[in-house]
Amino acid sequence: MTKRSLHLRDIILLALIGIIFGVIYFAAGFVYNGLTILLTPIGYGPMANDLTMGIWCMAGPLAGFLLKTPGAAFLGEFLGAAIEMFLGDQWGAANLISGAVQGIGAELGFTFTLYRMYNWLTLLISSLTLTFITFGWDWFRNGYNHFSGQMLTIMLIARFVSMFVFSGILVKLIANLLQRAHLIKQ
Amino acid sequence: MTNINFKNLSFNFDDQSILKNINTEFKEGKIHLLTGISGSGKSTILKLIAGLLPKYGGKIVTGTVDIPTGAQVGIVFQDPLMQFALDTPRHELEFTLENCQVPTQQIPARINRALNFGNVQPLANRLISTLSGGQQQRVALAVTMAMQPDILLLDEPFANVDEENRQFILKQLRQINNDYHTTIIMTDHDLHGYQQLQPLVWHLTNGCLSQLSVKDSAHLLQKGINQKLTTSLPTSDLPAIINFDHLSIKRGNQNLLLPTDLAFIKNKTTLVTGPNGIGKSTLFKAIARLLKYKGTITYERANIQKLSPGKYYRHLGLVFQHANDQFLNVTVGEELALALKTSQNPYFNHQQVQSALKLLGLTGREEQIVYSLSGGQKKKLQILLMLMRGQDILLLDEPFTGLDPGSLKNVLQLIKDAQTKKPQTLLIISHQLNGLDGFIDFHLKMNQQHLKYVGGSYES
Amino acid sequence: MNPSLKLFLVIFLSLELTFITKLWVNLIVIIICLIILMHYRFHWRQFCWLVFVPLFPALAIFITIVLFSPGHSLFDGTVLFSRLYVYVCLGTVFTFTTNTLTLARSLEQNCHLPSKYAYGVLAALNLIPKMKQAVTTIYTAGHMRGVNLHWWSPTLYFKAILVAIQWSDQLAQAMESHGFVEGQARTITVKIPITTRDWVYFSSILILIQIIVIALP
Repeated sequence: MTKRSLHLRDIILLALIGIIFGVIYFAAGFVYNGLTILLTPIGYGPMANDLTMGIWCMAGPLAGFLLKTPGAAFLGEFLGAAIEMFLGDQWGAANLISGAVQGIGAELGFTFTLYRMYNWLTLLISSLTLTFITFGWDWFRNGYNHFSGQMLTIMLIARFVSMFVFSGILVKLIANLLQRAHLIKQ
Repeated sequence: MTNINFKNLSFNFDDQSILKNINTEFKEGKIHLLTGISGSGKSTILKLIAGLLPKYGGKIVTGTVDIPTGAQVGIVFQDPLMQFALDTPRHELEFTLENCQVPTQQIPARINRALNFGNVQPLANRLISTLSGGQQQRVALAVTMAMQPDILLLDEPFANVDEENRQFILKQLRQINNDYHTTIIMTDHDLHGYQQLQPLVWHLTNGCLSQLSVKDSAHLLQKGINQKLTTSLPTSDLPAIINFDHLSIKRGNQNLLLPTDLAFIKNKTTLVTGPNGIGKSTLFKAIARLLKYKGTITYERANIQKLSPGKYYRHLGLVFQHANDQFLNVTVGEELALALKTSQNPYFNHQQVQSALKLLGLTGREEQIVYSLSGGQKKKLQILLMLMRGQDILLLDEPFTGLDPGSLKNVLQLIKDAQTKKPQTLLIISHQLNGLDGFIDFHLKMNQQHLKYVGGSYES
Repeated sequence: MNPSLKLFLVIFLSLELTFITKLWVNLIVIIICLIILMHYRFHWRQFCWLVFVPLFPALAIFITIVLFSPGHSLFDGTVLFSRLYVYVCLGTVFTFTTNTLTLARSLEQNCHLPSKYAYGVLAALNLIPKMKQAVTTIYTAGHMRGVNLHWWSPTLYFKAILVAIQWSDQLAQAMESHGFVEGQARTITVKIPITTRDWVYFSSILILIQIIVIALP
């Protein structure tokens, strides 16, 4: 295992990964708005946020898998969010805080597996930590404290599913390709 | 100051041997020119001297590289844009001088001197990304010279540089060498204009480096290999497949192509040539709809902007200059399987693919990762994949880079064979014309923002 | 104002207003931001963008809270609606009035952020247009090979990360050959000071906001 600090090349790479996700999300932003329009009339408008949350949180787990270094997942996620603010997305300055919150969520998944395991379990744990930590943040930011218990449960489940599909399964598929191309350090 | 010494040096990338037991001394204060086909390891030598390798990959198997103690090494890279951390020439100079711990009060004077030296004062506050390749390399040289190097390395510095800037930079290199006694080591595949520098010429082939005799060097530098070509001019009765209607292309503020009407002839092979940095690749990108242009490009009389991407790219393919851009999978086998599945050329069945692999020397590499192939192997695989896809039009941007003469012959043979079942319109950008006589029908020259067909028998 | 102080202020205000359910402070912050933006000659098209971007999520939250939450509180709905605009306005004021190089220099000099972070990220930011082009090239390469890539295709990310790995390698080498050494001291061309005026601005804005928070609903 590699206990090393992040070097210049890694930092540039993490920022570039942030840019990649920024560029691709930006093009896919209509998903969020489309879901919002669909869900609002039935009273579940904010659930678009939960359903797409996994998409915004892919950079962190992927960075953690790619660099296998403490701090990589946090920085990958945080830089991604900060760059989105510079690209001008809908969350503005809150991106910096959300980015930090999501970064902690992503990083914890790797911390709990002691930076030794890089497999499905790691991704499952990081999906869980991401789900709970970002949900906690939305409790305040998006006024989730105003919603009924039933709605909260559904939204929490939706968030976990989204988290697992995108920042779990999709990240694992990408990581598999990188692994097979020998681009991930053993 | 002493010389740069390579002692018994062998160097590997992954498991590929790049340099084999090199014993060489680069004399201080001289200008050295490394030649050899692309992918032969010229950059590796420069990066070893600069100390970037093996730090950034690869492994020294045996031997040592000794550079004089305390020598400042400056390097100018091939890809102009990828060597700047900051947005403008002035900021990059500030960044560099700060790194070199130049005291604050001396920085402005050093910057002015560097800008003057590169003749880039008017560009100092412009965004580097909006400059031409030639201007970018002038900035790169200015930044490097600001560091006052004892050893100056240039890795294919003219790949995207127009003639005027090339001459300017060559003149400056001579001056640097004269004034500061700087050791200059550079690589290039195009040798014109080097005579004035009177360089020591080296040749790298199969991982072995040798110095050419004075006579051979003079011969090589003088000749500027001219190739005989015979082409005809397209006549108006021939069917066209791609038409330009007042097509003009810009890069930033600079015109690359002034409004032009032109036709490309169906099922024929057209060679596109022109000086470096003139905009040939950009022209191909415009045809492939990868960038914006003014005027109209039509495919079979239909405006290409009105076709869906899925449809257009079923009829038109681009063999990218960088082979990596072409691949979508991980292993050679997967790439071939995908190409077979989506093939539009009936010539390529399982059996033909196998014999094509044999012809190209790629047999038995199905399990290998495409990105770990050598430059030449990647190029050959890339061309095979795109021939299998079999679009009506295939644009090939420098497809023969890094191929030795034998491989080139086989690639041309394969292209011809593939045409037997499905004729294609081929447009080829190539700086190397060896072996192309008889293979091409038409020859289009790009120069000074114009496109012109040339015909007859001539040396080019 | 000093970029680091400004950054801290923007983050602090965003954080504070997240945990406080007050309406007036949101509206006042938005108005102040708009005045600042007008002062810096914000284009009207950019204003439209500013209004449009948070509109969907803001409306969704508003409608959900007012019509579907147990409390049906119009006040809470309005607070949350305006809060989103607070975030975006603060973010826009920051990005619009701050030069990234000055920010990097300020973070390096004033906050002692290691220079590898400041300049590594800066170098990557310059590649945003090139990265957009690279993503387009990947989609096109897919089409040309008969594969339709989508934003959820692993291949798309795989190829883009491949490009990123190559670029980060090239850039790091280039920065190193321009004399950059991790952890080594650097001199300063442009000093980014924190002046007394910066501190006065900073603290008066903070105090003003606290008064508004306490005094108004």
